[in-house]
Amino acid sequence: MTKKISIDPITRLEGHGKIEIFLDDSGNVKNAYLQVPELRGFEQFCIDRPVEELPRITPRICGVCPMAHHMASTKTVDAVYHVKPTPTAVKLRNLVYDAYIMEDHLLHFFFLGGPDFVVTPSAPPEERNILGVISKVGLETGKKVIETRKKIREIVIHLSGRIIHPVSGLPGGVSKGLIEEKRIEFLKYAEDALAFAKETLQIFNDIVLKNDKYLDLIVGDIYKHKTYYMGLVDEKNKVNFYDGKIRVVDPNGKELVKFEAKDYLEHIAEHVEPWSYMKFPFLKAIGWNGFIDGKDSGVYRVAPLARLNASDGMATAIAQAEYEKMYDALGGKPAHNTLAFHWARLIEVMYAAEHMFELLKDKGITSDDIRNIPTEVPDEGIGVVEAARGTLFHHYKTDENGIITAVNLIVATVGNAAAMSMSIAKAAQYLIKDGEVNDGLLNMVEMAFRAYDPCLACATHSLPGQMPLEVNIHNSKNEVVKTIRR
Amino acid sequence: MKTLILGLGNSILSDDGIGINIAHELEKIRPPLPAEIREGSVAGLSILDEIDGYDKVILIDSIKTGKNEPGSIYRLKPEDFNSTSQLSNSHGIDFFAALKFGEKFGYILPKTIDVYAVEVEDNTTFNERCTSKVEASVSKLVQEIVRSLR
Repeated sequence: MTKKISIDPITRLEGHGKIEIFLDDSGNVKNAYLQVPELRGFEQFCIDRPVEELPRITPRICGVCPMAHHMASTKTVDAVYHVKPTPTAVKLRNLVYDAYIMEDHLLHFFFLGGPDFVVTPSAPPEERNILGVISKVGLETGKKVIETRKKIREIVIHLSGRIIHPVSGLPGGVSKGLIEEKRIEFLKYAEDALAFAKETLQIFNDIVLKNDKYLDLIVGDIYKHKTYYMGLVDEKNKVNFYDGKIRVVDPNGKELVKFEAKDYLEHIAEHVEPWSYMKFPFLKAIGWNGFIDGKDSGVYRVAPLARLNASDGMATAIAQAEYEKMYDALGGKPAHNTLAFHWARLIEVMYAAEHMFELLKDKGITSDDIRNIPTEVPDEGIGVVEAARGTLFHHYKTDENGIITAVNLIVATVGNAAAMSMSIAKAAQYLIKDGEVNDGLLNMVEMAFRAYDPCLACATHSLPGQMPLEVNIHNSKNEVVKTIRR
Repeated sequence: MKTLILGLGNSILSDDGIGINIAHELEKIRPPLPAEIREGSVAGLSILDEIDGYDKVILIDSIKTGKNEPGSIYRLKPEDFNSTSQLSNSHGIDFFAALKFGEKFGYILPKTIDVYAVEVEDNTTFNERCTSKVEASVSKLVQEIVRSLR
């Protein structure tokens, strides 16, 4: 009945990426694109369901960022019912959201992005993984990664019910409060998380920034694009993951626009290419002018470095000091260095830890005033959060009974879709000359898009029957001349 | 012996949910199987948190090889997985790398891990139901897992 076969391993986390590189007549790179599988029928799936189910359905779109979808969806349902969450509910939502960002970012640094830097970009492939990272940073640090992650996850599980499919968000608030005993316990966790965030930045400083070779890679031209940047900011233009206005700055750092989530369609449009299922959002005010950077291109970037570029700083003290240090080192703001997304990610880890600590110091967070009951007739709502991977929009329309009639999402990774293709093309241009493909192509190209921490797993989760990454190189006649798989 | 049956997948993505469907069917078996039965949409490192502390784990998942008919069943062991290629892949945390990591960091990992996987037809359309060929594999695989536990 069953067959025993040998297959490539389970790679569930990030989904498949397929890269197509097109050469010109002389064998140099003309274009390069990142392709991902299409998921079909989500809107249809949601139609005719009660809108309050969506905070529980949308986290199932993706096993990687369920909390981001849950929170964006909960905020959208608030808007559909025209109800504001209570101040305590806002604190609790912020707390669980900071915990999610911190865990997600730490996982990326140590497990996904870290191997490129901490182990060294030129290390043999068999060492470029978490075990290589551990041997470099030491077993003790490895244990702290595990312990910190475990404690942060406990906070998420306690407040949201489940880590993978959270259930706590309700229109007007949350379903569960925090008792004093747990506040004290979690305050200690947050203190430990804060200490570990400092340690992680120190590791980045010691291993990456003190190494001239790495620093050259970060500031070098191969991983640089001058684009617009988008991120949520508070009333002081400080980075905020949970709420605020969406601010866009131009490649010189000047504010282009600051808008409320409900107005997103006035500012963002989506470009469609025949070769990709993924849509490419761009700034309406500038227009789509192709996969190019610069002030005249509507391409914008999202996620950690984009958030920091789009802001005037961080709302907590240590994160702010680290923010200033990063921009000093990178020659001012905005920084266009794609590999600096890793650095910005760790500054956000620090902010998340400090913010969790602040929230938990406040005894007010244990108030039982956790929900305002909606009384308005539901109709339409738009919600936004900063997911770990960038600005995430949800938009629902309902009938007067709260039954879904339309759904639109702009997921975070898609915000960087155009930029990722551009980054891959640029890296490929350096590594393919006159038809000769440099052996380091795959690593360097991977580094280009991994900095964005793309979540291509808003795609299939099945065991792969093929390698998770495939690069096809096409000649000028569009024939595939080389395929590299990993 | 402490045994866990873990159905993996996405229950709203057509055939991707097959592992979860099978876990649900196994829950209905009477008398109950000598195992804890759970579902999860977890991957990589998070699987460690699920399987920590069990003696034996049966993972049920979907697979897409394109080489066999949808509904075909595969039985795999962790050692069937091409470890070197994945450990060289820092793109994602795969199951095998997660196990290696877990061993190093004090997770109590099961002595036996069986992986059952069902070849899928459609895992990119949002739907709560599997395609008919994949659905047809449910009773076969349920019987096989029941036999292996009794």
